[in-house]
Amino acid sequence: MYDVVVVGQGLTGLLSAIWAKERGNHVALVSQGTGKILQSTGLIDGSPGMGEKENTMAAERAAVAASEKFKTLMNNLGYPYHGQLNKPAPIVTGSGYVKWTSLYPETITPVPEEGNVVIAGFQEIVDFKAVYVKENLQKERPKLNIEAVTVRLKKHSSRTMTQLDAARVLEQKEARLNVIGQMRNEMTKQNISHPRLIVFPAALGVNRWKSIVREFEESLDAAVTEAPGMPPNASAVRFYEALKKGAIRLGVRFYMDTQVLGCHVEENLVKSLKIKTTNRTTEISGLNYIIASGGILGGGVEVTSAGLKDRVLGLEVDEFGQYTNCPHNVFPVGASQGTKVTRYGITGGMFSILSSYEANSRLNRLAKEDKHA
Amino acid sequence: MHDLACPEISFDSCLKCNACVVSCPVSNVTLDFGGPKHLGPELKRLIENQEFIDDSRIEFCTLCGNCDMACPENVNVSTLTAFAKASHSELGGSKFRDLILSNAELVGKVASTFAPLANMAMKMKPVRKVMEGVMGIPAERIFPEYRFNNFNRVYNKTTANTHRKVAYFVGCYATYNAPEVAKSFVNVMEYNGIEVAKPKQKCCGVPMFSNGRMKKGLKNANDNVNNLLQYTRQGYDVVLTCTSCTMALKKEYVSFLQSEEANELAEHVYDADEYLRMLYEEGELNTHFGQMNVKAGYYAPCHMKSQGIGTPALDVLGLIPGYEISDAAAGCCGQCGTFGFKKEKYEVSIAIGKQMVEAVEETGADYIVTECGMCKNSMHQLTDKEVKHPMQILSEAYEKAQNR
Repeated sequence: MYDVVVVGQGLTGLLSAIWAKERGNHVALVSQGTGKILQSTGLIDGSPGMGEKENTMAAERAAVAASEKFKTLMNNLGYPYHGQLNKPAPIVTGSGYVKWTSLYPETITPVPEEGNVVIAGFQEIVDFKAVYVKENLQKERPKLNIEAVTVRLKKHSSRTMTQLDAARVLEQKEARLNVIGQMRNEMTKQNISHPRLIVFPAALGVNRWKSIVREFEESLDAAVTEAPGMPPNASAVRFYEALKKGAIRLGVRFYMDTQVLGCHVEENLVKSLKIKTTNRTTEISGLNYIIASGGILGGGVEVTSAGLKDRVLGLEVDEFGQYTNCPHNVFPVGASQGTKVTRYGITGGMFSILSSYEANSRLNRLAKEDKHA
Repeated sequence: MHDLACPEISFDSCLKCNACVVSCPVSNVTLDFGGPKHLGPELKRLIENQEFIDDSRIEFCTLCGNCDMACPENVNVSTLTAFAKASHSELGGSKFRDLILSNAELVGKVASTFAPLANMAMKMKPVRKVMEGVMGIPAERIFPEYRFNNFNRVYNKTTANTHRKVAYFVGCYATYNAPEVAKSFVNVMEYNGIEVAKPKQKCCGVPMFSNGRMKKGLKNANDNVNNLLQYTRQGYDVVLTCTSCTMALKKEYVSFLQSEEANELAEHVYDADEYLRMLYEEGELNTHFGQMNVKAGYYAPCHMKSQGIGTPALDVLGLIPGYEISDAAAGCCGQCGTFGFKKEKYEVSIAIGKQMVEAVEETGADYIVTECGMCKNSMHQLTDKEVKHPMQILSEAYEKAQNR
């Protein structure tokens, strides 16, 4: 018997589990797969899918508190996030687009308005092309003086290399020296001196990102940034792995490769979940349940010809994917709250953090009331 | 042409999201492996109803199952790669070394009979150099020791007469290399008033599956299913102390055999810690443990994680007064059963293991607790930490309470 059973391993699931565990609860996290962080950029947008100019989040006190709590957590987990809700920062993406975001990991530096910028690509990485990034960024930032440099990782690969593969290659000292050497040569050849920023794909190491970023900055005498693009981005992989490792070390119990097939309800309280791990069906029970299964995109809700269907608890949902009669001890977070929660139904980023934070506060309030009663 | 029909149809759900590749311990250290996405669902989709393609890169798959845990779309990636490995071996044949390594049971029988000699020989550099040259078994790799007094020599009880009855599937490692784990398990059960029977059993098949010897593995699987069903149908619970054998009985037998019988058996199979946690939740566990002032680190084997049971070893050991234990949150150990005993895989194996070492060392623990004998072997090679099985600790805690 757990105090809290969390369903889903995305940003909301992991944060909810960690924060519930930090308050001393016995927490289980049930998930079918890794969740959607690995498909993300690792950036925390203030209002996902809407552009930061329409960001209404900054005005909310709870959101500010949630973002601070999140930053403290990430700092403790060794993968710090910077930025502020009321001051969105311009970030260059893997396609050269300037995107405004609220919080970003330490491997990312906002892009300046003017000055020299170098875009550095790796020949082996097909989904980050320095020239393409340069042209696009130039349209967005006409005052920048941008040069494109392409170097080789000099590694043979038997599969299509991703940004993550490049990041793992750069964990090796000789690979870094090789890249730095080529960068210097290319920059001399193209007469580039003292750029303000060098833009790499999201590939500056996985575990040793801190020393790798420092090494690149010192050897190339410029600030460096990652430009996240096609997944898997190292920026997102680090984010997921930091949260997961943090949760495991805190003592959250993971039930992986596990599907929730439904629940047992008594007097409007969920008593247990029916769970299936590959071939075996068992049960898991808790006092409270946090549903962080990601709505339609995350697979928690399915669109069928007969309307939306809840694929987790098997309870009735309305046309927006919200529980019509939510059991008292069930707390839907993030996209599991239905499609109405944001204007276009797109969640993630700051919305997910706030939602997890609020669910945690509600749980905590309930626990206190129970104590008094 | 090979005649192995892969029963797995989940490959069509693959969205190519790469979650499995990101989570694959082998892909993470080498670019020579095609990766689970490419050699699992993509390959299967490509050859379904078309000409078969044999891809030798599949040899790098260890069947650790991290791809299955990562997949958000419920694709059984490791079942697909297991059959790709099997087809590859069927077509290309198995190396002599792989025939030996995959036959852990026979090796166990022989090596434990000549235990002192066999153990000594495995520590002699010239012998190991010859083995490396002739068989491709890396000279640097430490081998687990074999015991003359193996568990089969000391325990022959085939029935149980208590209210709860346990049929113990011992597995090759606890039988031939670590009979102390098996004895501790029987001891722990005794403290709970449960008699332990040891049914007739064969190697679970995991080393065969991972070496592409599917037919031989399935034969063992069928024999084990038939032998163990005779017990479960009489009210026995099947309990195991090796997480890889447990995963085979719970997951692989069902996925590979696709039989009613395999399904029926899987419903009665428990990891030993999972079983004790269930007893605790039912109020049946003897919680009369002695005080143990220890700070231990827990290392979770991949095949434990893939069972979807949480972390029962932590739940149960946490009941011992004074016993402090935390999960190292480490990845794969790199030994991966027989994988680490192969010369051409050795470098990859050690590279995977290094990340485990960092995580384990960060715990600052007195010693490490893990269920898996092969993970223990890797830790033995790469760290100087002592490694214990949860059953050994529980047995000690019960004895301490007794002697107080």
